[in-house]
Amino acid sequence: MTEELMLNGCLRNNATAQEALYNRFSPRMLGVCYRFAKNREDAEDMLQDGFIKVFTQIHQYRNEGALEGWIRRIVVHTCINILKKNKKFSDSVDISNAHGIHVREEMIPSIMQAKQVVECIRSLPLGYKTVLNLYAIEGYSHKEIAFLLDIEESTSRSQYTRAKSMLEEILVRKKIIQKPKKKKSYLGAVSPD
Amino acid sequence: MENEFYTDEFEQLLKEKADQFRMYPSKRVWHSIYNNLHPSRRWPSMVMLLLLISSLSVIGYLNTGDSALNTPINSYAASQPSNQINNTTQTINTENQTTTKLKTQPQQPVSSLDNVFTDMSADKSDLYTYTVVESNRPDKKSLPNAVTEEKNIPEIKNEEENGKDLVQSMNTYIKTNKIFADVAVSHKKDKTEAVRPTDKTTAAEELNRSKDDLKIAATNKTEKLKPISSDKTDLTKLTAEDKKAIVKLNALENKKALTNEEKAWIESYALENKNEKDKWKKRLSYQVYVTPAVNYRKLTTKVKGSATAFANADINAAISQKPGFGIEAGAGITYDFAKNAQLKAGLQFNYTNYNIEASETVHPVLTSIVLNDPNTGYSYAASRTSTTSNVYNAGVINPVTLHNRTYQVSLPVGLAYKLSSEKNVEWYVGASAQPTYVFGGNAHLISADLKSYISDPSSIRTWNLNLGFETYMNFKLGDYHLQVGPQVRYQVYSTYRRDVALIEKPYAVGLKFGLTKGF
Repeated sequence: MTEELMLNGCLRNNATAQEALYNRFSPRMLGVCYRFAKNREDAEDMLQDGFIKVFTQIHQYRNEGALEGWIRRIVVHTCINILKKNKKFSDSVDISNAHGIHVREEMIPSIMQAKQVVECIRSLPLGYKTVLNLYAIEGYSHKEIAFLLDIEESTSRSQYTRAKSMLEEILVRKKIIQKPKKKKSYLGAVSPD
Repeated sequence: MENEFYTDEFEQLLKEKADQFRMYPSKRVWHSIYNNLHPSRRWPSMVMLLLLISSLSVIGYLNTGDSALNTPINSYAASQPSNQINNTTQTINTENQTTTKLKTQPQQPVSSLDNVFTDMSADKSDLYTYTVVESNRPDKKSLPNAVTEEKNIPEIKNEEENGKDLVQSMNTYIKTNKIFADVAVSHKKDKTEAVRPTDKTTAAEELNRSKDDLKIAATNKTEKLKPISSDKTDLTKLTAEDKKAIVKLNALENKKALTNEEKAWIESYALENKNEKDKWKKRLSYQVYVTPAVNYRKLTTKVKGSATAFANADINAAISQKPGFGIEAGAGITYDFAKNAQLKAGLQFNYTNYNIEASETVHPVLTSIVLNDPNTGYSYAASRTSTTSNVYNAGVINPVTLHNRTYQVSLPVGLAYKLSSEKNVEWYVGASAQPTYVFGGNAHLISADLKSYISDPSSIRTWNLNLGFETYMNFKLGDYHLQVGPQVRYQVYSTYRRDVALIEKPYAVGLKFGLTKGF
């Protein structure tokens, strides 16, 4: 089904068109939500809220950009609103009890890089990962992030710097990327094969 | 300058990998969205449920036999020649039988994507959370100076390569993680630009609408996703990379002083990547609940060959009785055996109470109680003594409220069905059977001449069976779920032993408050 057909159907609240649009974009959007969320269930809740907004506000979509970009922006805003609503920004990452966790074979991370990178991002403290997600991946400016999260622009910058530094260390330690030496590219990532 | 260059590359790496990451949502998400967008089909069932609750409340109120609610002085006994006040009141018992049907939730259309991975595993439920990522593209990894390029570059790969990569990577990941299945696939970004019609609807567009709908229906039928190759590769072999990862994590585990990041990493995977056992555990949750309730009862008699007043009277009208407050409290375990259905079991304490208005006599009175011979079934009067008379009015010297109480322990086993869910609220209906052990209490039985009450705790049946019916809203509060909703509990067998001619069938209408938390 083409985007035009889907859009026309969605504008008429046609369930088939809505499902088609959902099926096309939900896997990628759930990946977006998952980077912001605490766990998969929360991510699915975010996705659900996001798509409800998409379908109820579809008439506001002007053909000024890619439909996916428009949907993605709504989903990201929904994630941020949910995080703000739950006041999780004030939560601190408490890993003092992590000693008791027994590592089993099933917990071994995937060797797939994308999954590993996403999991590394998710392992960051909430404030760090939110700013990092918005700035580095979603392409928001620090000014926009400050407005979205009700924080100072300088706070956004400092959070991002720390987040990036922490993430870099994790990625290097996990051998997902090579430690950047002079004139060496990050993109020479360790191949999973 | 050089730092900035590397920083940009790092950011691009993050963006690239994050954009490749995909996860497939469970069916629940689409069902919830559908229900939210098309709520009209849900309302009839809600209305029917409200009707059911209202009907139960009305039945409960009308069937209490509690003339005392409107006529506080019961003068049946007083109307007898030997009593003081001749003041007859009439009690009207109305029996309403209201049949209500709960309309079942309409089946939602199932996403065609749900069948994509059907052939990957025999156990579909274990693999419903497929995570699909793109990866292993040498040309992308070695992209120099990629910072200057446009974001979201379309990625193209031929289908054969995709299939091989997909199967190989998926097998590898299944070996190391039984929950998620990451597969390396490439995708073609749909370049089709949406052309949205203008806001002003023209006559031509109106005509095209019906055509579009037909196209949607046709496309939906014909558009099928290709199933992923059912490669039978041996999953038991680990690659060298996998083994390295295992050794590394084992070393990490044995390491005495873990850094914060390492702990965070382990914690993250412990939470997110649960094994099969944990997944099974995830379906379990425990619950504590309390139900303040109003206890009602319905009295009948079972007599044969008796000419006593007890045998011939309207027993509910003969007694001045009032509903009492009771409580149920318990703990249990719920198991989600299906998307919308739960199995429940637990241990519950019940306190039931029903009040009788009477008056104390100055000295014990010799009276009798009607019992049934277990062999012949014929009724007979057995002698008893009583210190309370069935007279309660403003003129009595020592008015007293008798409490028919029982203390019970029950083992409720039941089912709950989720009718709908929206955001953090879910709506359930449930029913349970509750084998019950009565370990204490008191019973005040009316005498054969209906003039006295005999206190006889030994007449209480030890084992009984209760049925519970409930509907509740389940509110998600962080890690907890708060349940609130009305509950009706009905006792199947008489409170009293089989040889007692008086049959009491109590029922309770209450409001249940429960708190549930997953393991």
